[in-house]
Amino acid sequence: MPDSLTFLMGKHPAILPADVRYCRNHMWCRPGADGRHQFGFTGYAVRLMQDVYFLEWKVNDGDAVALKQEIGFIESSKAQSELYSPLAGKDIRFNPSLLNDPSAINSDTHATGWLFEMAADISGTMDAGEYYAYLEGAWATAQRILKNQVNLDDDE
Amino acid sequence: MSRKLTVVLSQAPGKNPAKRGLEESLAAALIMEPGVDVSIVPNLYDMGPDHTGRMFLESVPGDMVVLSWLFPRAAFWLLDRDGIKGQFGITLLKPPADDEEEKEKEKPLEGIGATGTIPDRHIYTLDLRDFNKAEPYVNEIRRIIAEATERIRQKAIDKAVANPVMISLGLPSKNGHAEPTIALPMFNADDLLAPANRRWYPVIDYNRCTNCLECLDFCLFGVYGVDSFDRILTENQDQCKKGCPACSRVCPQTAIMFPEYKTPTIAGADVGAIGGLKIDLSKLFGGGDTVDALTAAVAERDRELVADGRDAVGLAVGIPKRQTGKSQQPKDDLDRLVDDLDLLGL
Repeated sequence: MPDSLTFLMGKHPAILPADVRYCRNHMWCRPGADGRHQFGFTGYAVRLMQDVYFLEWKVNDGDAVALKQEIGFIESSKAQSELYSPLAGKDIRFNPSLLNDPSAINSDTHATGWLFEMAADISGTMDAGEYYAYLEGAWATAQRILKNQVNLDDDE
Repeated sequence: MSRKLTVVLSQAPGKNPAKRGLEESLAAALIMEPGVDVSIVPNLYDMGPDHTGRMFLESVPGDMVVLSWLFPRAAFWLLDRDGIKGQFGITLLKPPADDEEEKEKEKPLEGIGATGTIPDRHIYTLDLRDFNKAEPYVNEIRRIIAEATERIRQKAIDKAVANPVMISLGLPSKNGHAEPTIALPMFNADDLLAPANRRWYPVIDYNRCTNCLECLDFCLFGVYGVDSFDRILTENQDQCKKGCPACSRVCPQTAIMFPEYKTPTIAGADVGAIGGLKIDLSKLFGGGDTVDALTAAVAERDRELVADGRDAVGLAVGIPKRQTGKSQQPKDDLDRLVDDLDLLGL
């Protein structure tokens, strides 16, 4: 098994473990033996958000979700975002321990900070190397956009 | 005798430490403030009709300042819908970034206006996202107290001019000099603050609403109805589908607000106001491609229909007839930002 990769966001390292798959919406996916897989935020996503203090799901445990369906909302000290399903899936189950305290997303995103699990076809996901290349390709634009937004705030 | 000004602080949902911090420092400052009665309630938007905090709001007879994490228009019309009515108190509090050149010309209000009798009092709704410290709010509340006092004085003068003493002599006194003192029911601070479950429903700005009833046709979940004068009304708030803002997209006047939706125009911002927003990562995290409002609304509605076990209807039902050309409006800063994010090609 290859080692984890480290993507540098400026000076901040985002660790990309090699034992999980990656989705384009910056979630990792840990394949399960029974066709049910676990999902969580990648280090890259966590770094963009920083301290998460509010997490809300808009679908219920057991629901089926469509690709890119809006399934929740997250708010952190710096950012907010709607959350979307990375894949089409069935019988989604959310991590109950995050509901009262989402801080594990920051402290332990690859283990206790997992977001949800569901049955899904994960053949379209990326491995760590592909995700690294994907981040690299989008980093310049992402940086510019984020900087624009931050400047907007700073000018006020 | 002058009554104290009622100031109500509506808490943010969730446990954002920065928001809690501002709420606490504001409460502390206002308790020390002469002429102010301060009360704290949970998020205005979430309180149902049985909540003590809402009953308290309903019981306030005079001028009122409501501080909330909502846009002023949204907070004002949300109270109006709950029967807590008054004149819209114009706040001079402006977020520091309000560019003078950005100032859009005030559009004349074309709406049908609030229903029922509007009591002769003012409700000022201040947005807690405008500043991150208590001071500007306290100063604005002092200004409002002075404004309210002046208004009462002016009213007394007008009254005196309209009813010369000569005429009122010999008539039964109507106690015209002092404001009637109404004993306020006592509310326990803990009851006021009882946690409220999260709710989701549209709020209509009747200064914009022309009663075209497009929303009534479009929504298939029975949220809207009409009152005895055939005026549109959010009749069944809690039948609304959490997260779905579809009807606000089809409203030709952008009169429908979802106060907690992420897009400021839908949440009740005056157009162009995007100050104080957080970075929105939705596009990075897989949000859909931008589409025109009607397509988005139809897709949102279909999703909720299917989730309810009903059939999607697409464009077949309740499609507005008055929205042609709507999507051709000039782009604002927010649109440009979203376009930038689209460049990422996610």
